[in-house]
Amino acid sequence: MAAPKSVAVFFAVLNLISLLPFIAFSFSPDQPTDRKILVLLDDLSLKSSHSIFFNTLQSRGFDLDFKLADDPSIAVKRYGQYLYDGLVLFSPSADRFGGSLNIEGVLDFVDSGHDLILAGDSNASDLIRNIAAECGVEFDEDTSAMVIDHAGYAVSETEGDHTLIASDEFIQSDVILGSKKLEAPVLFKGIGHSLNPENSLVLKVLSASSSAYSANPTSKLSNPPSLTGTSISLVSVVQARNNARIMISGSLGLFSNRLFRSGVQKIGSLNKYEKSGNEQFVTELSKWIFHERGHLKAVHLKHNKIGETEEPSIYRINDDLEFSVEIFEWSGTSWVPYVANDVQVQFYMMSPYVLKTLSTNQKGLYHTSFKVPDVYGVFQFKIEYQRLGYTTLSLSKQVNIHSCVSFHKFC
Amino acid sequence: MDRNLGILVAALLLVASTCESAIFNPVSESHRSAASELLSSADGSFGSLEETYEALKTFEVLGIEKKPDIRTSACVSAVKILSSTSSALKDLFHALRVNGVLKCELNDQAFPGIGSKLKDSLNGASSLLDFYYSIGGLILIKDQTSEVDVHISDADRIFRSIKALSQSDGRWRLNSNNPESSNDAAGIALEALSGVISLASSEIDSSLIATLKNDISKLFDGVEKYDDGTCYFDEKLVDAHGHKGPLSASASIVRGITALAAVSSENLNLPGEKVLGLAKFFLGIGIPGSAKDLYYQIDALSCLESIRGSVPLILSLPATVLSVTKKDQLKVKVSTVLGSAAPPLSVKLMQIFVSGSKDASVIDQKLKFDPENSVHVLETLPTNVDVGNYIFSFEIIFDEPEHKNKYATGGRTRVPIHVTGVIKIDSAEIAILENDLGSVETQKKLDLPGESAVALSANHLQKLRLSFRLTTPSGQVFKPHQAFLKLKHDSGVEHIFVVANSGKKFEIILDFLGLVDKFFYLSGTYDLQLTVGDSVMENSFLQPLGHIELDLPEAPEKAARPPPQPVDMYSRYGPKAEISHIFRVPEKRPPRELSLAFFGLVILPFFGFLAGLFHLRANLKNFPKSIHATFAILFHLGIAAVLSLYALFWFKLDLFTTLKTLGLLGIFLMFVGHKTLSHLASTSAKLKTT
Repeated sequence: MAAPKSVAVFFAVLNLISLLPFIAFSFSPDQPTDRKILVLLDDLSLKSSHSIFFNTLQSRGFDLDFKLADDPSIAVKRYGQYLYDGLVLFSPSADRFGGSLNIEGVLDFVDSGHDLILAGDSNASDLIRNIAAECGVEFDEDTSAMVIDHAGYAVSETEGDHTLIASDEFIQSDVILGSKKLEAPVLFKGIGHSLNPENSLVLKVLSASSSAYSANPTSKLSNPPSLTGTSISLVSVVQARNNARIMISGSLGLFSNRLFRSGVQKIGSLNKYEKSGNEQFVTELSKWIFHERGHLKAVHLKHNKIGETEEPSIYRINDDLEFSVEIFEWSGTSWVPYVANDVQVQFYMMSPYVLKTLSTNQKGLYHTSFKVPDVYGVFQFKIEYQRLGYTTLSLSKQVNIHSCVSFHKFC
Repeated sequence: MDRNLGILVAALLLVASTCESAIFNPVSESHRSAASELLSSADGSFGSLEETYEALKTFEVLGIEKKPDIRTSACVSAVKILSSTSSALKDLFHALRVNGVLKCELNDQAFPGIGSKLKDSLNGASSLLDFYYSIGGLILIKDQTSEVDVHISDADRIFRSIKALSQSDGRWRLNSNNPESSNDAAGIALEALSGVISLASSEIDSSLIATLKNDISKLFDGVEKYDDGTCYFDEKLVDAHGHKGPLSASASIVRGITALAAVSSENLNLPGEKVLGLAKFFLGIGIPGSAKDLYYQIDALSCLESIRGSVPLILSLPATVLSVTKKDQLKVKVSTVLGSAAPPLSVKLMQIFVSGSKDASVIDQKLKFDPENSVHVLETLPTNVDVGNYIFSFEIIFDEPEHKNKYATGGRTRVPIHVTGVIKIDSAEIAILENDLGSVETQKKLDLPGESAVALSANHLQKLRLSFRLTTPSGQVFKPHQAFLKLKHDSGVEHIFVVANSGKKFEIILDFLGLVDKFFYLSGTYDLQLTVGDSVMENSFLQPLGHIELDLPEAPEKAARPPPQPVDMYSRYGPKAEISHIFRVPEKRPPRELSLAFFGLVILPFFGFLAGLFHLRANLKNFPKSIHATFAILFHLGIAAVLSLYALFWFKLDLFTTLKTLGLLGIFLMFVGHKTLSHLASTSAKLKTT
């Protein structure tokens, strides 16, 4: 009996080994390619009506796995390993997901560093609202409400209720929206959300104008709407502390071929654009979401006395030291040198004793030199780099500072 | 899927859920450009012959002349399959279809062979697809050459064996072993049966046709219908690639009934409203994003364009937002689904409903036809139409009554119309009132919309009153959807009030005494901002009115704190201020000479000591001699080594190395010291005894 059992175990192990290459991990600087994305849809026809968006993702090398939101075979995790690197939820009306996925599953997926794109729409389900709420974004509680803007709508011969909004209030960030300026306004038709003011991780990428409000367009207003003006966010992003990135849009139509191809003219503006800004906006934003931009890594953190190359174990006070670090940004295919002029190093013990801006050689190397403070103790070289849209760099290296007199040898 | 398709319609058509009427536009130029974009592959070829045919058909229907250079490669593969004797049935069928479109140079010798092969397989066929491909192939041969006799003699038998696969609900099974029935298969079966009828050498038994008609009516009973008149055939079986769905099923059935209507001698009595609903379904999809879906849509629409008995006519409006101020004219266009001209007809505006209410006014007015642009124009809007949202109901009347049996118009078409206009705003004023008396303290006129910068001040015992009047172009009171007064404190706290209308006037009175709690007892400057807007108001505006200086009482202890305001996200990031360490200033030292002088003074007693030793005539005569001298010397050297070790420790060594060396030196010193001291002790003992 023992022999068949061992054979079975052998095959099980063999299976596991053959599965290993297919198991995907979250974005990791070591293995940044081969990315799989699960797309959950309300209806398979969305595949066709939103095909431009999906095609741009596929052309950038992503492997999309389309499933209906209530497909019983949905699983994001197997044997403790995640099967996907990203999740696209284009299922605003899903009350629950099929298979083993639930709201905790989605949050765990994000908590383990994976990316998420979530699209709500009018009559979004509680499930979608709750996922958004867990990410720090509150959709308007009134389920029949839509964002209306009588002074910022898109001119249309056929849409007369001013819920198709042309918004050009973008976040000022080249890393999130790309360096090419968005000329045409973005068309939006859907629900608005507000951000929790105490949550510093969530950013408003596309906001409504000051004349906008969120209400049911067909019923009379008796109370002031809960969301008005520029506090309404149309599209928001979250960068979690583990560098997982989340995009939350109140409109599924934002990604649709129809609005991608549609021309746009904002009321009160003479500029008429052949094509709305949606395609550029969504494409650039998705590049950021899937870490093709704004993902930094710092390597080769190095320090030594001036004139030496070896890293000493201790420094004495008043020594002159050199510090250098290399920073690279992921471009979607390779690591390229990151160029900026605001990288700073701290020489830190309880509080920074020295904080200096590093000079750069424009090829990713940042360096500086300074004199060791005349304070003995255990110090750290610390890089804390937090910039809008970039992943946070936080690294440190410890050194001791000794005196040059002998009785301090006893410490 | 029903629920999902609800989303499809909602998402794709972007139809407001409350609106039971919607506009569908026929296929237009944007379809053509999208098709050329979608179907232009890099190397000018398509994956399979099936895809090639679909692309060719789409181009043909849309009238795109400039076919990408696919003719050569497609013809080569089609001819290869047609000339080969071992080609599969399906490949033969698709190759014949491609050949039918492209008219490749194929020698006519191939056709008889294919024809007999198809006939053989038809006799042995058992599954629906086998029938479909064989019959379809034979029909294609019939169209492409006249030299092959494609007539089937036992048409009744084949008809019956296809019919045997049908289910009681009008659906079909793909083969007798498969219990699952589908709408897609029903469409395939209908198309195959129409082929049997047209290929039959003798008349088909009329009772068979009658049962088939019955099947079709059952099939149409199972159609899914939406409020806006859209109909589609649902598909329960969705294959893994998502190619089969409501779109493909509906397209398949449309193909089937069109083919059947074309060949059957009697009228199929297709329900016109449902055929129109199907047309609306295909048009409502907009422009599909995949080549397959585009083919299904365009192919189905081209079938509907020519379906016998009920060609759907689409009533569309180029613009549904009409301005009374600009005197826009209501224009209605009637065309077939692919946008070609409709037969002579006239359009009547029957009724106008006010959106959201049941009130309807009966108009019954004929629209004037403008033959130049082929649109029907309503030159002036009826007098009772003011700005607002309406639903207009139109009816199509044919000039020639017999067209009624040829076209499907679906009775009355209801279209939502937004009538917009410039709203007149007057008697706008803002005032501060005394609380108990209601007397006016200050009152200012406002220019709306325009520039205004009032500066008011009030305390908590006073009231603020804002009033204005809105009238429509026809002099009626206008009630906008959005009339907000916003007060914004310097700290960023905002309060929004809805300005309500009282009779003819819009008025809001803010009694600050009742609002102090809501205002968090925050005194100071509040900016006033008025927003008036509506979807039918062309001059919607957002206007800063000025500011009010509020003097509110001190907050009691239990009062609520103002909510936190969002921090500006740009200020959270950015470099920090540099810090550089301030070094301790080295202590002040005396000049070098003075230090040296003191050093000399300190060292002076040492020389005195040496001099004293000399004076006392100290000597080394007692230093051990012979072998003992070695130990004594080693002992002194050892002491010197310890002292130098201390010096090294001062300069260089750490405690552990020093202690280790000191331990070794100590053992050595103990040994030589003991030797020396014992020698000294023995010599002194000797001296004592002697």
